[in-house]
Amino acid sequence: MFTRPVDVAGAAVFVAVMALLPLVFPSNYLIGVLTVSVLYGIWAITWDFMSGLTGRENFGHALFIGVGAYTAGFMNTTFGINGWWSLPASMVMAVLFALLIGLPTLRLKGPYFALAMLSGSVIMQRLMLIFWEQTGGEEGLNGLTPLIKSQIGFYYFALATLVAITVLLLALARSHFGLILRAIRGDEATCQAAGINVTFYKIASLVISAAFAGAGGAMYAHYQLQVSPQLFAVVTSITIITMVYVGGMASIYGPVGGAILLVLLTELLRNFGEWRLMIYSCALILILFFLPGGLVAPTWRRIRAALTARRLAAAVPVSREPST
Amino acid sequence: MTALLEVANLNKHFGGLHAVKNVSLTVERGEVVGILGPNGAGKTTVYNLLTGFIAPDAGARIVFQGTSVLGLAPYRIAASGISRTFQLCRPFVGLSVLENVIVGALGSRGADGADLEARARKLLAQVGLAGKEGVPVEVLSYGDQRRLEIARALAARPALLLLDEPFAGLGSSEIADLSALIRRVHAEEGLTVVLIEHKLREFMRLVDRVVALDFGEIIAAGSPEEIVRHPAVIEAYIGRDDGATSSEASHAA
Amino acid sequence: MLEILIVGAVSSAIYAMLAVGFTLIFGVARVLNLAHGSFYALGAYGAYVLTSQLKLPLLPAALLSVALVALVGVVIERVFIRPMRKSQLAVLMITLAVALVVEQALFLTFGSEYRNVPAFIDSKFTIGGVNVAGARLLALGVGIVVIGALWLFIQRTRYGSAILAISQDPQAAQYMGIPSDRVFSVVMGISAALAATAGILAGPFLTVQPTMWLLPIVKAFAIVVVGGLGSIPGSILAALMLGYAETIVGYTISTSWTEIVSVLATLLMLMLRPAGIFGRRAAF
Repeated sequence: MFTRPVDVAGAAVFVAVMALLPLVFPSNYLIGVLTVSVLYGIWAITWDFMSGLTGRENFGHALFIGVGAYTAGFMNTTFGINGWWSLPASMVMAVLFALLIGLPTLRLKGPYFALAMLSGSVIMQRLMLIFWEQTGGEEGLNGLTPLIKSQIGFYYFALATLVAITVLLLALARSHFGLILRAIRGDEATCQAAGINVTFYKIASLVISAAFAGAGGAMYAHYQLQVSPQLFAVVTSITIITMVYVGGMASIYGPVGGAILLVLLTELLRNFGEWRLMIYSCALILILFFLPGGLVAPTWRRIRAALTARRLAAAVPVSREPST
Repeated sequence: MTALLEVANLNKHFGGLHAVKNVSLTVERGEVVGILGPNGAGKTTVYNLLTGFIAPDAGARIVFQGTSVLGLAPYRIAASGISRTFQLCRPFVGLSVLENVIVGALGSRGADGADLEARARKLLAQVGLAGKEGVPVEVLSYGDQRRLEIARALAARPALLLLDEPFAGLGSSEIADLSALIRRVHAEEGLTVVLIEHKLREFMRLVDRVVALDFGEIIAAGSPEEIVRHPAVIEAYIGRDDGATSSEASHAA
Repeated sequence: MLEILIVGAVSSAIYAMLAVGFTLIFGVARVLNLAHGSFYALGAYGAYVLTSQLKLPLLPAALLSVALVALVGVVIERVFIRPMRKSQLAVLMITLAVALVVEQALFLTFGSEYRNVPAFIDSKFTIGGVNVAGARLLALGVGIVVIGALWLFIQRTRYGSAILAISQDPQAAQYMGIPSDRVFSVVMGISAALAATAGILAGPFLTVQPTMWLLPIVKAFAIVVVGGLGSIPGSILAALMLGYAETIVGYTISTSWTEIVSVLATLLMLMLRPAGIFGRRAAF
């Protein structure tokens, strides 16, 4: 899974391109778009790690993002704590919420787990509005201090974080841990019969997914310098799931491409004004019908196959004339 | 020496249906015990009770290797040394053959020590699936899936192997091969095997001892020859017009 | 106190119409249709368009709207849901996408301001000293009649038996020659019609705007989980419970807490007793 030299080379090229783009096309707007796509990439990867591998789709990933963001928001605006502390703090809070909602709901079948998670994120959104005096209601918390003053500096930090998280999650996915998660997707009862504590692994993967999603949420908060209940919205969760579908479910690296593509698409559609969400939703339907395996991961697999075939052919000495 | 598995007063009600009635049995280390019975006799239910997938009615006693496993979660029971196969093959879809076997080892004592991949390859060779390691399980033939199930169950290095109708859906030459495999594995690994079947011929040659179930209760126990001639067993089969028996019985006797 | 009783009853009736349709299509086709709320919205908007733009009188407009939405439901089932039926999660995703498309279509056509669906009965009535809008009483009355009619339909007619058969054992029903696909379409139509009726009746006193599909689906799901998926009596009972719980919370604590009640109920029920009160098919 994405470990051969050609994969590493491909990843290196990708990172290089992402790092060089803002230098080649200096524009604050471009850096902004790239930063947002990197953050969405983090959220998409974390979703794929849990839901893609175990097959238990989580319709409430926004819960962890919002928790991370609001933790950062409160720490920074209410308590005046330096932004860098909010990264580990947001991870801890996200883990707590993952345990709180995951422990009772992970035993549920697919769609019910999905909708239970959705309910969780909707409750949090509502609570942020109900307790508007503490949370700022619709407008949320404002005036966070940025983590890194320079826009491009923060972008490189986010990019580095994305790379680090991707490497970590890929390593986990390739390990026995990941193998067990995929087996759980195959047949839970048989995993139990093989002596595997299925509940532990489901919760562990949810916790890992939540922790990094929360960190991403905190980073987002310190980037937008603002936190609002929209972060908990159903739209956020669905957008991320769409990105994973486009990227290629369970590939871990695909969702990064999916995130970038969709953020770019959203930006390109800005010209369509009101029609933007409509086009987006229709695109989602088309993807669900015609590209259930995704776009990014299958495309990479084909590129990889073409590249390795050519390398093999080049390595074989002597003529290719048919022997007589 | 204490028995490997001691079961006493095993009962299960599903609503009003008394599916398993007062089943008691003991399995000694190294035995091959057969559980015989027509469809619906409760054989798989007994397995589900033993492996913790269903909870027995109060008053049951299930002791494995000297410790009670009553009330333990299924994965704990499996990890303590009981492996089982299922009536319908249940491979881990989406994983390759080799990966399936590796996962089998990950849950329990099978995971200590040496390179899991090497052990998995050895097991696959033992069951006759060498060369198919990279194949995705969805494309395997049914006979191969059965072999995979056994390899996967063995990967956990169990003390007790519970097989649920391993010959179901197989043709006669495949049955002979699988039967030879079970015998070989039993001899080489020193496993204790319990085997549910209702196809008599191969079954009789494999097992040391038979326990016959009907309507959830034990109607007879003894050597294969005794069982086949036991009136209650014959009635259980002929009474249900199950063509499997009389000609089979005379063959096996 | 009496006010709570009546308002609660009205809410319950509307919720019951929504939930029964939702649980019906689940019971028959194992489909969790997240676009169910869209039928509610389309019913209300349909009545609005037919009365204010086509100037139809209210009753024909309402009936026509219900019929059209039922048709939309059948089309959605055929085009979007049926190809995805092998995976419940795929159905969830596609129906959610459809709901979003419908929302955007309504937004682009009508804008986001609230629209006005006229009420059948404009006058207010006084019952036991409490002022109640006629529209609310009508919603209650129609709700009871419609659900009663549906219950009779399922229990007494041949079609109803077919529906019950498929709910219990889809394969056996097919072997018996019951045309499952046709039954799914009919049930979807009934489900959509119920939701549309709820939308038309509730339109006059609940807000009509493009995002009005989300809350009803959250509540319908809550009710169906609490009452037991696939159980109509369960849905009715849970609708009553939720309707009253929300009303009581609204009157005693504050109206902003009412939406949480349903979501919280869903979450708690899924955690404690996923089969719901009457459910046979557990969520695990």
